[in-house]
Amino acid sequence: MPISFVVMFVLVGILSSPAMACSTQVIANANVTSITKSQLRQIFLMRQLYWPDKQKIVVFVLPSSDPLHQIFSKCNLGIFPYKLDRTWNKLTYSGLGVAPIVVDSHQALIKAVTSTAGAIGYAEDFAEIKDKYVIQFQN
Amino acid sequence: MLFNSRTKSVQTFYSLLLLSLLMNEVGAEETINPDLQLHGFIAQGIINVSGSDFVNDSGELSAELTEVGLNGSYQLNSLFRLTGQVVYLDGGNRYDEGFRVNYALLDWSLHHAEDWQVNLYLGRFKNNHWLYSGTRDVPFTRPSIILPQSIYFDGFRDITVGADGAALKISHSSDLLGDFDFNVSSGTTTISKEQTQILYSEQALGKMSNSRDIKTSLYWQPADSSWRFGLTLLDADFGYEAQAQGDRFFDTKMTFQRVMVNALFEGERWEFSSEIIQERFVFDGFYFPDFHHDKLGQGYYSQFRYKIDNSLILLARYERFYDDKDNRKGDGLAEASGGLLPSYSGYQHDITLGFSYDLAEKFRLQFEYHHIEGIARLTPVVLPNLAINNSKRWDLWAIQLMYWF
Repeated sequence: MPISFVVMFVLVGILSSPAMACSTQVIANANVTSITKSQLRQIFLMRQLYWPDKQKIVVFVLPSSDPLHQIFSKCNLGIFPYKLDRTWNKLTYSGLGVAPIVVDSHQALIKAVTSTAGAIGYAEDFAEIKDKYVIQFQN
Repeated sequence: MLFNSRTKSVQTFYSLLLLSLLMNEVGAEETINPDLQLHGFIAQGIINVSGSDFVNDSGELSAELTEVGLNGSYQLNSLFRLTGQVVYLDGGNRYDEGFRVNYALLDWSLHHAEDWQVNLYLGRFKNNHWLYSGTRDVPFTRPSIILPQSIYFDGFRDITVGADGAALKISHSSDLLGDFDFNVSSGTTTISKEQTQILYSEQALGKMSNSRDIKTSLYWQPADSSWRFGLTLLDADFGYEAQAQGDRFFDTKMTFQRVMVNALFEGERWEFSSEIIQERFVFDGFYFPDFHHDKLGQGYYSQFRYKIDNSLILLARYERFYDDKDNRKGDGLAEASGGLLPSYSGYQHDITLGFSYDLAEKFRLQFEYHHIEGIARLTPVVLPNLAINNSKRWDLWAIQLMYWF
């Protein structure tokens, strides 16, 4: 491989690092009280499909253009929204797996999570949600 | 992989499987059913090629750039999931026009824990080993309308797109080391008469078969990194059984092997991807009974994408492919053919510029221009159409509108 490729690899590698203040709540309808950033990434990348108590995880998200989704993606997960889309599209359209369920609105997302066993999602930090559905996010 | 190329029982199996998925959708209530997913896409474009038969023989503007697909997934229980996809493709000379079952499989979750997942896929599975192979027919998942032909040669599409058999995927996630994905698959592909003639010319009247196809790949994304690296291997055996009378070619045994490495960087605005390939093609027979061929081809591409904003992405790609790594200018091919084949039939290099623009959510317009030198990745491979492909350099542009759900 030409040296120019190696230079390109290095140059491109220093061009990006996502960072943004989190203004979200992580919500779940499962037997969990806290979650780490690493665990959250695995769940939203569909690499962890079951909670520790063996219950199936059901992931709900907003459309990728929604500002709340973008904040959650960059801040809570540390993943660019377009990369999440690509991961989910590959799973969905190749037969390898399934993607999160997309709902239309913030309220619909809260309702979907609170009414579905094993569900996980997110909400704005000022949204009023019963304490039992809010799980502590450990950055 | 065409409907008309399958035995009746296999067709029936796949049809019933897909029908069962659709019936579940019809019966679904309005409440969210997390076990069922139904998705699809539709894309139509126009493509203009000057100086080659890549899409058609006439050289006229063509609308043979149609891709339509429907796929569904149904989780039966905690262990098993059914999933399938049907597509309709029209790409002119690039591959055979028609409906295909791209995949129809049973996904068996052999093991699942917080940091490990092991899945066994039984049935017809997609080739998920290369960067874009798993969704090469899904327009909005591709970086370009025409993928790099060094790796994703459209003439091989139906042969490399997937197989009937079994595939295993092992995923491991580590906070310290990152994410690992290991895939191995074994199966066979039924090759239609049309596909055979796309590769070998219409003078090939016999039947091509695939007796073995093993692929494996390992991907690694370091922890907290935007880079991902992959290594993939392929080993496949094919045969050609000549028709007793009138066939220009002879019975043939073929072995096709590939070693590929790839790298992908996904930053906030910049993206870089590259795949490097070395492929070995060995065959005995074909031209005449004692003919022996054993050559190594090489190729690579480097691709940059830059996101102007959330809607507009620019593309630039540089690609080179050599049919014989020891004869990069193709002169040996010209000599061996007694001057019948031009030296530029021994390689194909491509410079691509393009963009994609999201008109609305799940609604995209994509455009690209290719400047190409050489004809090594045009069909038919065995007997190039030199009446049309008489230019060392040729170009194409394409524009495609796509919607997905």
